[in-house]
Amino acid sequence: MNAYTYEEMEVGRKESFTVQVTEADMDAFRAVTGDGNPLHADDGFARDKGYEGKVAFGMLTASYLSTLAGVYLPGERSLIQSVETKFLKPVYPGDTLSVSGEITEKNDTYSLIFVKAEIRNQKGEKVLRGKLQIQVI
Amino acid sequence: MSREEVFAEVTKIFRDVFDDDTLVIVDETNSGDIEDWDSLEHINLVVAMEKRFNMKFNLKEVGKLANVGEMVDLILSRM
Repeated sequence: MNAYTYEEMEVGRKESFTVQVTEADMDAFRAVTGDGNPLHADDGFARDKGYEGKVAFGMLTASYLSTLAGVYLPGERSLIQSVETKFLKPVYPGDTLSVSGEITEKNDTYSLIFVKAEIRNQKGEKVLRGKLQIQVI
Repeated sequence: MSREEVFAEVTKIFRDVFDDDTLVIVDETNSGDIEDWDSLEHINLVVAMEKRFNMKFNLKEVGKLANVGEMVDLILSRM
């Protein structure tokens, strides 16, 4: 886990990691949230709606932004204040995602960093983009 | 900028931060008058004002602001 201080957080710093979305992740997310929507659980239903198979929960994909802040940028001194995100393409169980973020702005008054984030799948397609406001505590 | 011009810009910032184009503020408006005005949105207000007016505040001075009028006066004092 990184442990950057606010002073070490310069605009332009980038961090990234990869993660695979597994069936176990899907089950765990379903159990935690209670979201039993068939688009995320039933291959037949999802195909009938035009997808390759059941679609990963968008909020599961977005949850890796928590990891980006809490483990990488800045790491242990992270306090996420806000996240804006857009889901650009479907993610499927088994996909390997590349999660990356770059500091675009800082605020010295409150020790804030503003991070532009994106997640791409194994084909290089951007599946999510987002912005995070993080206080470095 | 005149006080009225600064106030107009501050009004725009409040409307943007609180996602409410109909929001009306006056000098006496404080965090008790706007339901969503909590500590996090206070940070967002200050950050937006620093960017809009190209100035830096310190935690002590922004922490003791009691209402919108004091925010506007703080901005004017830095111009």
